[in-house]
Amino acid sequence: MVDFSLSDTERDIRDWVRNFVQRELMPLEPEVLRRERAGERGLSKDELAELRDKARQAGFWGVQTPEEYGGMDLSAVLTALIEVELGRTFVPFSFGGYADNILYYANEEQKQRYLIPTIEGQRKSCFAITEPGAGSDAKNIRTTARKEGSEWVIDGEKTFITGGIDADFAMVFAVTDKDKGADGGVTCFLADRDMGWKSEPIDIMGEWDRMPASLVFDGVRVPEENVLGEVGQGFALAMQWIGRGRYLLPARALGGCERLLDMAVQYSKGRETFGEPIADRQAIQWMIADSAVEIEALRWLVLQAAWQVDSGMDSRHAQSMAKLHGGVRANEIVDRVMQIHGGMGYTRELPVERWYRDLRLLRIFEGTDEIQRRTIARNLIKGHASIGGVLG
Amino acid sequence: MNIVVLVKQVPDTWSERKLSDADHTLDRASADAVLDEINERAVEEALLAKEAQGGEVTVVCMGPERANEAIRKALSMGADSAVHVSDEALHGSDAVQTARTLAAAIGTLESVDLVIAGNESTDGRAGAVPAMVAELLGWPQLTYARKLDTDGQSVSIERESDAGVATVEANLPALVSVTEKINEPRYPSFKGIMAAKKKPVSTLSVADVGLSADEVGLGSAPTQVVSSAPAPPKEAGVKVTDEGEGGVQIVEFLSGQKLV
Repeated sequence: MVDFSLSDTERDIRDWVRNFVQRELMPLEPEVLRRERAGERGLSKDELAELRDKARQAGFWGVQTPEEYGGMDLSAVLTALIEVELGRTFVPFSFGGYADNILYYANEEQKQRYLIPTIEGQRKSCFAITEPGAGSDAKNIRTTARKEGSEWVIDGEKTFITGGIDADFAMVFAVTDKDKGADGGVTCFLADRDMGWKSEPIDIMGEWDRMPASLVFDGVRVPEENVLGEVGQGFALAMQWIGRGRYLLPARALGGCERLLDMAVQYSKGRETFGEPIADRQAIQWMIADSAVEIEALRWLVLQAAWQVDSGMDSRHAQSMAKLHGGVRANEIVDRVMQIHGGMGYTRELPVERWYRDLRLLRIFEGTDEIQRRTIARNLIKGHASIGGVLG
Repeated sequence: MNIVVLVKQVPDTWSERKLSDADHTLDRASADAVLDEINERAVEEALLAKEAQGGEVTVVCMGPERANEAIRKALSMGADSAVHVSDEALHGSDAVQTARTLAAAIGTLESVDLVIAGNESTDGRAGAVPAMVAELLGWPQLTYARKLDTDGQSVSIERESDAGVATVEANLPALVSVTEKINEPRYPSFKGIMAAKKKPVSTLSVADVGLSADEVGLGSAPTQVVSSAPAPPKEAGVKVTDEGEGGVQIVEFLSGQKLV
């Protein structure tokens, strides 16, 4: 009835990434940890570019980017499998050749200036909607844009903007018609940094690769040709960006959980207390067993959501479930893995505490646990989704 | 020029490897299986020679059905076709029988100019198969190559041994075995992976290569593994704290072990 196996080609692509992670990324782990402990970036921009070039030489570039832009145009399932492999290391790496999905709505002239240079890695984007008073409730944004001649003048503040430190342009969302609000009154602008917006990094629990920025727009003038899509239609774009691949976040966490549990199993076999390896203790075995079951459940929640994406189904319900389960369980698993490692787990000799801090974000960003639960519950209450899942 | 590369699927050196308790053969189920790294280098060298001289690269592999994964990897790196000798009768074959089987498989191919192999596999580590295959084919053997050059008529290698480096030449056809210093193998390309499934792989039985089942396998192997035991766990090392005498202490330790 259901075939859970991979095709040979899918397996080969997955194995290629696994091999790349083992050969190119894992050897960097001690140095990445050392640098992060010293408050530096785990990978320099040059090192990241070099690794991306190496992968690109083998054609691993633009995982989901359409072929017409030189990408691999892989399925959601394969993309999820790749994320799992990349998640097996904490070395902050992703393949190059990516551009935000909403940049494909750019007109031809904008594509040349924004989409293509972003895919090629010559420009860096950031998605700027969240504000101090508008996060999960993104419709509450207060940043405004008013028309003056052939320009729009943007005023407001954005916060928790991923990539905002390094971005040289922002896809910034601003209210252009207060009366209409999110329903026809929000517009997306392509705002270059040299048009005058400023960014400030926000220090966080996680590492550099997670570090967001606050963005200040103080009378920033953007030419009217820099409207992305239509004036007033920005909120729909924002929703598309947010929904672009929620299943990929728990996919990466899944890879981390697999690695962490593997570390815990190895450690439990080697660490002896009172003359016996702790692996022989029921308390440890239960933690290992519970984690393994949760990892298995997460794997299939993620891949089933990805399969729904590939099948052209409305996958939002499945993606919310994968994201919620991933966030909650990954945090429980890393906590258990730390517990199994005892005092060693809490030290900075091992990367467990790094993962512990990093995974906490998964319950907050790109839709908090609470928002996922709201989505899931509402879908069921309103009859948009079945308790029986795709089998009805 | 037509080049054959001998490849082997081995347990991933990243995973725990063990022998089966029953017959001391490799427990293939206990570990992930991969194309041996030394074979990746052999494939790379064949591809470089093909890129310089033209011709085709054929991968020859002896192994269970699962070894088709290793073959596919070699094909996705750029090899053109493969011969897979797969037969339950081969289980437990030793180095001599393996060499006979591989030489027979090479014999089924038309006009082979050069055979390239890894010098030794990361699992069996006998390091004998390449030389045996050359002997059975009646071809010159150029082993332990750290560098390989060919003009399509002859082949020249830098042969590295404990005694030094020698340059060795032979007319083709010949067999070369390579060391890990020969090159850095390329990653298979995405296009190569997509194309690999469509490349021809002929699966042959022992009979297909002209051998009989009682010539191969554990039962008739000239050598037998009679017992096996896991390597003892590593003992804790000696920590030398350098308080001005660190260098002397290390030299004393090494000379105590008769290492210097």
